[in-house]
Amino acid sequence: MSTEYGIALGMIETRGLVPAIEAADAMTKAAEVRLVSREFVGGGYVTILVRGETGAVNAAVRAGADACERVGDGLVAAHIIARPHKEVEPVLTNAKA
Amino acid sequence: MSEYGIALGMIETRGLVPAIEAADAMTKAAEVRLVSREFVGGGYVTILVRGETGAVNAAVRAGADACERVGDGLVAAHIIARPHKEVEPVLTNVAKA
Repeated sequence: MSTEYGIALGMIETRGLVPAIEAADAMTKAAEVRLVSREFVGGGYVTILVRGETGAVNAAVRAGADACERVGDGLVAAHIIARPHKEVEPVLTNAKA
Repeated sequence: MSEYGIALGMIETRGLVPAIEAADAMTKAAEVRLVSREFVGGGYVTILVRGETGAVNAAVRAGADACERVGDGLVAAHIIARPHKEVEPVLTNVAKA
């Protein structure tokens, strides 16, 4: 999973689906990243996970956070992990299911 | 469960992004296994790890520190050095669900 999309992981969490979709759009337009998951966490929280090269993920997450701040109830968290531990990978895969 | 070590570590966060950050920090900080990621509801996410008591202690401290600054952050961080055997099925159900 990590090898085909690039190693780094980018995450954006929003309150509501509309800012999440806006963030996903801005992220994929800003840099070469792949959307790997969209999670309904509960309580109205929605999380978008992207993967790609570290620089691309960095640019994408910044663009996505900027874009979704003004939409609806906006941003909760934007975070990047340059190289997630291999033990964390199944959690991300479960997140996909 | 004995194959992962006895002690149990738990981190609960508001939102998925701090939970993944905590999981990454925990697995990088010490020799622990991620056994479960639970969507509790209401936006709460729980990460369960197991390992030797010292490792779990170090991991939970590192995880709590790391996720405090991300998004809506930490709700609870807790360690049980030796869960009662009666509790094990609950953890197993949690892991399977």
